[in-house]
Amino acid sequence: MHIPDGLMAPELLVFGWVIAILGLGFAVRAVKSKLPEKQIVVMAVVSAGIFAAQMLNFPVMGGTSGHLVGAALASIIFGPAAAIVMISTILIIQCFVFGDGGLTALGLNILNMALIGSIVGYYSYSIIAGKHEGNNKFVFDTKGRAAIFAGTWLATFISALLCALELSISNLISPSYGIAWQISIPMMAIYHVLIAIGEGIITLGIIEYISRVSPDMLKVEKIELWKRRGEVEC
Amino acid sequence: MNARQIGMKIVWIIVVFSIGLVGFFIFSADKGDGLEKTMEDAGVSEGEPVYQAPLSYGEDYPSAFAAGVIGIIITLIFSLGLTYLLARVGKSKKSKVRDVKGEKDNGAS
Repeated sequence: MHIPDGLMAPELLVFGWVIAILGLGFAVRAVKSKLPEKQIVVMAVVSAGIFAAQMLNFPVMGGTSGHLVGAALASIIFGPAAAIVMISTILIIQCFVFGDGGLTALGLNILNMALIGSIVGYYSYSIIAGKHEGNNKFVFDTKGRAAIFAGTWLATFISALLCALELSISNLISPSYGIAWQISIPMMAIYHVLIAIGEGIITLGIIEYISRVSPDMLKVEKIELWKRRGEVEC
Repeated sequence: MNARQIGMKIVWIIVVFSIGLVGFFIFSADKGDGLEKTMEDAGVSEGEPVYQAPLSYGEDYPSAFAAGVIGIIITLIFSLGLTYLLARVGKSKKSKVRDVKGEKDNGAS
């Protein structure tokens, strides 16, 4: 889902950069004030793992393939602010070192995958799991597992729909950019319904695996974008 | 997590990656992702990149494996540096706030 150069209208690219800079700035602020030093290494190792996983596409029906984005995985483990910083870092490295995703479209890629993926993944997981009080509790019952899968599925699917919307708006601005909504929205939706199932299964598998071999990793403090009601800054 | 444990985790990631890459080349290397397939369906091709990256993911197993290992190491180092910097800046800001608060409290008493 890495948008290349020359696909989106310039207006959309500027919009993407503005939102990405604002969102990333907001996340960096939250991480700066709340990140415990002992969490630094764990976050870096997970980021390296997500980078590797993003290179491994899995086949999906209809001659297409998908890969783990990892935003929901990172946000469920570390919280949305930390996940935004982690996924943005990966996207920046992919763009500048490997040419994956266009430089002009980096803002939109950060918006779709890092910002939307992390926020939708974490908050939909939290709502479905009903974990509003305990900040670092993972409950591996049916509801907990369903919440991880559903949160991840929603994160991937909504990120893809947003990308389809950007393609449609670009095409409306100028027919030489983007893809007409009659094609972009149904096609992106159909492919990503399936890709999101793959992402959900992989994320659930990774979190289950971590809970068995390194359960302390799942007890780290979740770095949220804003303070929850009743939370006191120490 | 000490340096040895980090090393072990990275080796583990590289081992899993090397196995996963075999599956990738057997099943998915010739298939585009969701966006690429949508572009193909619509007859839209990628534009010329405005920036030429120094590396690529490679076309065969050895080059893709090398690219992956390089990417894993760069991501680890860059993430460690960035998060360490953020944690240090946040810590020094907090201690400054505490110092100012302490001075105010001393002045008031």
